[in-house]
Amino acid sequence: MTGKVTVTLKVNGRTFSADCEPRKTLADFLRQDLGFTGVHLGCEHGVCGACTISVDGSTARSCCMLAVQAEGTEVTTVEGLASDGNLHPLQEAFWKHHGLQCGFCTPGMLAAASELLEDNPDPTADEIREGISGNLCRCTGYQFIVDSVQDAAQHLRSTT
Amino acid sequence: MERRDFSFVALARPGAGRDKKTWEDTVVEQNAHEGLIGARVRRKEDLRLLTGRTQFVDDVQLSGMLEAAVLRSPVPHARIVSIDVSEALEHPGVYAVMTGAEVKEAVSSPQPVIWRMIPDQLIPDGYPLAVDKVRYVGQGVAAVAAKDRATAEDALELIDVEYEELPAVASLEDALAEDAPKLYEDWPSNVSGSTTIPKGDVAAAFADADVVVTESFRFARQTGAPLETRGVVATWDPYTSHLDIWLSTQSPNLARDLLGEVLGISVDKIRVRTPDVGGGFGNKFDFYGEEIVAAILSRSTGRSVKLIEDRMESFVANAHSREQKIDVELAATSDGAITGLRATVYAVLGGQLGTVGIGPCWTTAALMTGPYDIPNAELSVVGVMTNRSPYGSYRGWGQPKSNFVHERMVELLSRRIGMDAQEIRRKNFVPPDAFPYASPVFFYDSGRYADCLDLCEKSVEQAGWLERRDKARADGTAVGIGYSFHVEITAFGPSRILNMAGLQHAGFDEEVVRIDSTGHVTVYTGQSAMGQGVQTALAQVAAQSLGVALDDVTVVVGDTDTCPYTGYGTGASRAAAVGGGAVLTAATRLKEKVLRIAGQILEASPEDLVVQDGRVSVTGAPDKSISMAEIGDASYRRMNGLLPETESPTLEEREVFDPANVAFSYGCTAVLTEVDTETGEVRLLDYLIAHDCGTVINPLIVDGQLHGGAAQAIGGALYEELVYGDDGQIQTTTFMDYLIPTATEIPPFRLEHMATVADHIPGGFKGMGEGGTIGGGAAIAHSVEDALSDYGVSITSLPITPPRLLAAMRAGKDNG
Amino acid sequence: MKAATFEYVRATSVDEVVRTLADDEDAKILAGGQSLVPLLNMRLARPTTIIDISRIDDLSYVRRANGHLEIGALTKHRVVETSELVHRHVPLLADALRYVGHVTIRNRGTIGGSIAHADPAAELPATCVALDAQLVVQGPRGQRVIAAADFFHGYLMTALDPEEVITELRVPVLAKGTGCAVEELARRSGDFALVAVFAAVTLELDGTCREARIAVAGAGPAPVRATAAEAILRGNAVTTDVITAAANAVADATDPPSDIHGPAEYRREMAAVLSRRAIKQATNRANGGV
Repeated sequence: MTGKVTVTLKVNGRTFSADCEPRKTLADFLRQDLGFTGVHLGCEHGVCGACTISVDGSTARSCCMLAVQAEGTEVTTVEGLASDGNLHPLQEAFWKHHGLQCGFCTPGMLAAASELLEDNPDPTADEIREGISGNLCRCTGYQFIVDSVQDAAQHLRSTT
Repeated sequence: MERRDFSFVALARPGAGRDKKTWEDTVVEQNAHEGLIGARVRRKEDLRLLTGRTQFVDDVQLSGMLEAAVLRSPVPHARIVSIDVSEALEHPGVYAVMTGAEVKEAVSSPQPVIWRMIPDQLIPDGYPLAVDKVRYVGQGVAAVAAKDRATAEDALELIDVEYEELPAVASLEDALAEDAPKLYEDWPSNVSGSTTIPKGDVAAAFADADVVVTESFRFARQTGAPLETRGVVATWDPYTSHLDIWLSTQSPNLARDLLGEVLGISVDKIRVRTPDVGGGFGNKFDFYGEEIVAAILSRSTGRSVKLIEDRMESFVANAHSREQKIDVELAATSDGAITGLRATVYAVLGGQLGTVGIGPCWTTAALMTGPYDIPNAELSVVGVMTNRSPYGSYRGWGQPKSNFVHERMVELLSRRIGMDAQEIRRKNFVPPDAFPYASPVFFYDSGRYADCLDLCEKSVEQAGWLERRDKARADGTAVGIGYSFHVEITAFGPSRILNMAGLQHAGFDEEVVRIDSTGHVTVYTGQSAMGQGVQTALAQVAAQSLGVALDDVTVVVGDTDTCPYTGYGTGASRAAAVGGGAVLTAATRLKEKVLRIAGQILEASPEDLVVQDGRVSVTGAPDKSISMAEIGDASYRRMNGLLPETESPTLEEREVFDPANVAFSYGCTAVLTEVDTETGEVRLLDYLIAHDCGTVINPLIVDGQLHGGAAQAIGGALYEELVYGDDGQIQTTTFMDYLIPTATEIPPFRLEHMATVADHIPGGFKGMGEGGTIGGGAAIAHSVEDALSDYGVSITSLPITPPRLLAAMRAGKDNG
Repeated sequence: MKAATFEYVRATSVDEVVRTLADDEDAKILAGGQSLVPLLNMRLARPTTIIDISRIDDLSYVRRANGHLEIGALTKHRVVETSELVHRHVPLLADALRYVGHVTIRNRGTIGGSIAHADPAAELPATCVALDAQLVVQGPRGQRVIAAADFFHGYLMTALDPEEVITELRVPVLAKGTGCAVEELARRSGDFALVAVFAAVTLELDGTCREARIAVAGAGPAPVRATAAEAILRGNAVTTDVITAAANAVADATDPPSDIHGPAEYRREMAAVLSRRAIKQATNRANGGV
């Protein structure tokens, strides 16, 4: 048996420190040890994108990272997307356009869409499809997600 | 090094921020007090889902909880010679190890098969874990409960199973071969049973036919693959025998009854709770062995036990579906009247029968005439066991295959007699004045099929597809348009007829509508939420029926101790129609009580009262009014002098609705497709569905269901396949190999709606959860054939993969 | 799907990595983890020790030196893909990286990791072969430089000794007048290629081909360099006939596998189809087209 390691990191602006086995993925660490169950595991092999979070400003699949690798990083999960009770424009747009059904892919989808809009504030529908193509959704058929991202982009542009 | 500055927080920075008002203003009819049925309303479910505040089954944490894992067979067909669990039991952190034989000892009956539509069908006893013999790769053999999942998986590696391998029956052909090895030695063959659904005089129809079209179709194994895998958390108290279970299921009441049956305990001792469910698609309708394994491990350890299927397991342990071979003959006149249909559906079942047995394959046969008035039919189904995972429920439940068959046969007939396929459809549709129409099995309640086809064709024209196709062809690009027309059975019931058909369960629904002491409304439903928006839909029905705001309605789902009983479960596109109908009736009756109470207080006749936005007022005297909150208070707390002596306290109504018949939705799908003739790649350019599901409760939800259903049809038509090798090994156990389409493979969708109400359902609702999935495959196939009209391609199997299409193009060229 | 246990070492220097590798023959290097962590989760990889090299300083860079670009082994795909230097001097590399998984994967996946993993269907190994790249590796006996052509030995097998680690990728700067193109056939966006062709065509002022570089992924147990096809192009005007001949030569050079997504025959045929498209497009780009 191998010993535990201590991992200290910042999640949604708050610092956490906990012990875990080196084999534990960041996703399991966030979910089980820190209580961020908004991180969802759909495949644990880096294809579905449900566990996508932001690590030091870039999206990452938390099932493809060991928790120990996140030492000293700043993580944002879906729980940190809304602030002060106000939804993020993407959350508002997903709500308005029915960009989610079961909601299991949604946290990862929001993370991917956030990064996409940061890189490309005015994406075409095709660019949005490409941008979220690393995130599987089995419910929506994607159309309303594309509509949501497009509307959020428009909203973000109009308010900056 | 280049550094990128991205974060969620950056996007939410002040100034980039949101203008709360703008968003709220753009939401349509959110709080409209009238016309909520039919309003495009944001879902009540979404705030929690969007902010990560949900609780899926893997999020359930109970004190002292253990986690389990299942050891699965690596071989398709073998006798279990011995299982040695001693080393696993010694492993630190392990609390219990259980083998199949021990589980069999602990249960009262085998796993239930609730669909038994073939009276003399051979139904083998199947247990939660294999006993004596394994019959498919991935079949559970033993299970471990440990302090966490990783430790449980460590312990699985320490279990030593000795298998005596038997020849694998890897395919339908293997199973039906002469001298095929048998899965069940005491059976005469690998055939579980067969039956034939007759109508009219099919022999005469074929004898008199001008034209007979013959074809054989093949459908790959596929699965619903909800993004959340299945899971259970069981707490079975060894002293009180009370079983408290969290289950990611679509059918909590059915699960409770089946848990009781298998575990041999009365259902009052069983509480099934469903947390948030991350997609069901039928896969989570079925009842699996893991539920039982978790319960038994819990009782033996005295702890709560969580058992979550991982993704790789899901490809062997979750219901497999779709796989069939169908031989078809169609008889017609030379002017396109279809006079007879003869078909044999070979159901490629697995090594055990799942919860729904041969049900979906029987449905393929039962609905094979589709929207057409075919006077003579002989529709057979043959169930064949193979060393593959058990067959079970998946959105469409047999209908995608019926649809593919009748639509492909129409196109083949069109080619044969040189008559436009749409004309053949129109000529053979069940006409509007023929409803209720007796199809070979079911009564179709209502429909305007020709109108729907017209609507679809008109929309295709308006969308400019014809010009796009012409222009592309002029440029040398292979672009085509394909159509299909589907019917969809919904509102599954009535109970006694379902029983007669062989279902060991009911089809009614019970709903409770309560107004509380603050005048707000709670709907308690046995229907299950899995992302389809049932809470919002039922809330809309209740809010409109009672005259209250949507925000004042809460819908409680997912707890058999709290919620009423629904027969069957939330499958077969039942919730909106059967649940909605029951809520409407209960709420309407409750409103009558509200009006009686308000009438007494306002000294007016109930007939003179109106309820609007939670306020009861006298018609013509709007200042004479009382709020729902005051009526609630008078009904629960301060009733003296307010609540009429003739009325009992509380405001609650309960409605049991057993529909007199099913309700048929229908639609026409059109697809615009481009084929790369060098690579065989198929790209869908545009996609249109004209659809009728009776009264629409929420167009936003209906659109989303059609989109999502269509995406699964596209996956099934072009990408998804559970592949087995000749050795009986499954070769697709990851999302790298089982190809669920991403946003780049799915085209934009266009929808057109019409509404032909179901007269026998309160509100006129019909279900529509499966329609998008049913019609897609045939329409895509037709669009590919149209794009490749120069090649004479005929699509007879799904999915259409690039190598297969290229081969078909060559075969087509060779043939003609 | 939880990984088996292992020891974890966070290396702070390349020397430490080499030492640890030498001490434990079942140790495995973890860089971006995009291939390794899934294999760990599936228990298909069972290392005794994981050596996390992602925190080693100074192995993440893109710089120009002596006619080539030097790319640190820990540089993320996304950084290389969006690097100005790479776009200007080795556009084929930037084009190829866009096909690697999705942005989220490229955010974490490293150049060295992809090369060391040596998946024959992956984009980066084939691109390195096409570009005559070199790999700088460090081991107990110091540093050595291995040509990409000699590096990929077979399915997930390389010329790396067990105690060696890749520290840098060196990619020769492409000559002026070079056009690049990537043609990839995958079942879905972001999937591994069934077949992918990477082509760079350099034209003389008169339009004849001075230099051609073509490599194929998904065409065999290791990336395939289509030298015969390159020879057909070199010194000739790039006509339709020449392109077809070269594309057929590419297909002849392949020895693709069969799997559930496509039989070998299909892949070989697609190697020709994609090569035709890639050579044509690379030639157009060399002529100033897009």
